[in-house]
Amino acid sequence: MQGRFWRFVAAAVLVNVAVAAPAEQQIKPVVEQVGEEVRFITCPIYRDTDAGRKSGCWLGDRRETGTRFDITGSPTKPDWNHAVLVEGRVVEGDTQQCGGVLLEPVRVSVLHDQNCTRHMLPAEGFTGRRFSLPTRNIRPLYEPRELPKPPYQEKSFDIPFDFGRDYIVYQLSDYYIDKAVKYAIDIDASRVEITGYAATTPTTVSGQTLREPAELALRRAEVAREWLRRMGYPLDRVKIRAQTKAKVSDMEGADGLTEPSRRRVTLRVIP
Amino acid sequence: MKLRRFRLGGAVAALLIACGSVGVATAEEDDRWWAPGEGRVFPATLDYPNEHGTLRVLLEGGPMETRGHPFFEPIGPYGRACVTCHQPADAMSLSAKSAQIQWERLGHKDPLFAPFDGSNCPDLPQEERESHSLLLDHGLIRIARPWPPRDFDGNPIKPDFDISVVRDPTGCNLSKEWGLPSPDPHISVYRRSRPVANFKYILAMGFNFDPKAGLPLPLDPETGEPASHNLMADGRVLSLASQMRDAASAHLGFLEELTPEDIDRIIDFEKRVFTAQQKNRFGGDVNAGGAEGGPLKLAESEPGRLGSQGIPVWSEFDAWANSDDPDISPEERAWRESVARGARNFRERMFLISDSAGITTPIGFGNPVRDRCAFCHNMSQMGMDVAPGQVDLGTTNLPFADPQPHLPLFKITCKAEPHPHYGREIYTYDPGYALTTGRCADVGRITLQSLRGLSARAPYFSNGSAKTLREVIEFYDRRYNIGYTEQEIEDLVNLMEAL
Ligand code: HEC
Ligand code: HEC
Repeated sequence: MQGRFWRFVAAAVLVNVAVAAPAEQQIKPVVEQVGEEVRFITCPIYRDTDAGRKSGCWLGDRRETGTRFDITGSPTKPDWNHAVLVEGRVVEGDTQQCGGVLLEPVRVSVLHDQNCTRHMLPAEGFTGRRFSLPTRNIRPLYEPRELPKPPYQEKSFDIPFDFGRDYIVYQLSDYYIDKAVKYAIDIDASRVEITGYAATTPTTVSGQTLREPAELALRRAEVAREWLRRMGYPLDRVKIRAQTKAKVSDMEGADGLTEPSRRRVTLRVIP
Repeated sequence: MKLRRFRLGGAVAALLIACGSVGVATAEEDDRWWAPGEGRVFPATLDYPNEHGTLRVLLEGGPMETRGHPFFEPIGPYGRACVTCHQPADAMSLSAKSAQIQWERLGHKDPLFAPFDGSNCPDLPQEERESHSLLLDHGLIRIARPWPPRDFDGNPIKPDFDISVVRDPTGCNLSKEWGLPSPDPHISVYRRSRPVANFKYILAMGFNFDPKAGLPLPLDPETGEPASHNLMADGRVLSLASQMRDAASAHLGFLEELTPEDIDRIIDFEKRVFTAQQKNRFGGDVNAGGAEGGPLKLAESEPGRLGSQGIPVWSEFDAWANSDDPDISPEERAWRESVARGARNFRERMFLISDSAGITTPIGFGNPVRDRCAFCHNMSQMGMDVAPGQVDLGTTNLPFADPQPHLPLFKITCKAEPHPHYGREIYTYDPGYALTTGRCADVGRITLQSLRGLSARAPYFSNGSAKTLREVIEFYDRRYNIGYTEQEIEDLVNLMEAL
């Protein structure tokens, strides 16, 4: 019993040393500037931090510059078996939580056709980030909800998407599309015009040419139409359009990031 | 009533009496088993002992006459009733042990062992035990799913994967009459019965949203209304009414549909039944000493609440954390404290969840994601998933599933996009949700069950792969490399026993 106790104390001391280490280091980008928008493809690294549920860290090394970024803040987190497209803004933030230069806002798109070797780092004294419910979330049905008051306005809603996907991103895109569809239903809109966009113009990222397939524009629009259908809006009042070569937009859901702002669906709700 | 009803033949009844006189069945066992058409009264409160204590079944508005009730009367050529596979003593499911007792009593003459799905395959010699080994040894009922799959409106779906049979120990998947080569191709998978109780919860909708699909909840074609999508291992039906049509044509072998009146009466019954463990094995009530276990609390509470935003999952037992009740034995005190620790463990003990479609893809929680039991089992008081709960835990997919030589093994080849975790080829004992959607991304996703009345209905998981509650916890420990201590395992098992 006593032997066990002393081993425990020794372990605790060791851990303490490990905790102290990262605090000494200054994690700063060598090449990138604060405020700069970066875009790169890499294999993600999982850091096994523990500050409760969903508190693990995700890191991405930008091969072009050697900077290790903290990409944990993305609504879509990486899959350690697949490459990711990282898009984010460099900020001065707490680098001690995960051990990388913070990107915020940041978007991660999983590139399922590019495999990676899974890699997990131990916590190494980094704390991780305690989970808090993102502000953009759908509220439960049992919660009372405020209905819009007449006179009703025409409103446009933009729904963001990950690169190459038509999946409604949890606690980001769902928040916007739920708002749009509920507005159409609440005001009994006479018409809803859906435009799906795809970023088909090629861009070069980390030596790869990226372009979204043209048919993705329509698939995204169809997902929005399916939302309307399932929530009970009559489809004969819905017009659907697809547009390729999507331009940069000022969509709120992109949080000011350039390339993500192209990948969207717009719902124009007409009273 | 449009139904042709079949009563137990005289021969079977005589056999029942004969068996009783040989002394195979004790009086108590006789009372446990509800045979079709017995015409008992279903009382408002029904208690059945089991190895961990006592299960209680509550019937709101009971007692109820079961004579003439379509849940209890034999329907179809086999003389089966719904109650045959949804037994009150087994938490309205069916334990492997009950099946064994019925075999001892009546052999293949008991309607439970009807050839269509109470045997490994209808074309096997029905008198032999071997032909019913999946039901007797693992509590499994044959479920024949059409191939290609059909959507909720019954139209064929073009699947994005091919399926082939790697191993077919029951012979049913390669059978020219029952299998894939038949003119009406079917895939046979073998599944546990699911509890017909606590439906207020199972049908509850916390959100009108399935985050695992990125879409609002699916609409039930019969009503046009959104459905909780938490029924059946593979989510193939959206309402209790369509479930009944599925059951009537499959389990009961009855080709005509149940009448609307029958359906209404069954639904009315199903919605009033609540079940949970009521007493622990030391004799104490699970709602004593400040705790709130047992079925009464279930009948009285609001369903569909997310534990993380309301009543924490299994906080019913928090009051037992420090039992100072002077009237209980030291064993019972230790047990209560262990249950309370198990409940906290269920909510707080973190581990890395990986390669579990429905959680780690397509939803963006990350692969892996650090979380706990209550991440998936998140509904207050019921422990199912508030969102539609189709998740690939690895209970049916290789390499995560334990070896199950008695089950058929299928090879899935994804034709469009590869599966994000398995790649192009997946080996599975049960493709689960993919047999409903036709998508390879859904192979092995199984709808979470409720976690109530577990003590009464071993074995566990939809393919019965965990024989005991300890084996359930040990499966998780291996699957996610959790590293539980012996104490943690014991606490979780004790918690499960108390539900
Ligand atoms: C031969 C056994 C058998 C008979 C008879 C039977 N069932 Fe079932 N029942 C099952 C099995 C097995 C499942 C699980 C199927 C699956 O998951 O694919 C099930 C599932 C269910 C479910 C879904 C529960 C849930 O939470 O997912 C309901 C409801 C149900 N049965 C009601 C009925 C009714 C009503 C009848 C009579 C019309 C009936 N059953 C007859 C074996 C049976
Ligand atoms: C990643 C999601 C997930 C997590 C985390 C999870 N479960 Fe489950 N659980 C499921 C699914 C899915 C099923 C149904 C699987 C099947 O039937 O094959 C299930 C089934 C069960 C069952 C069997 C119920 C029955 O009726 O047979 C028990 C008991 C259970 N889980 C307990 C636990 C415990 C204890 C933990 C924590 C160690 C846990 N679960 C963590 C998804 C999860």
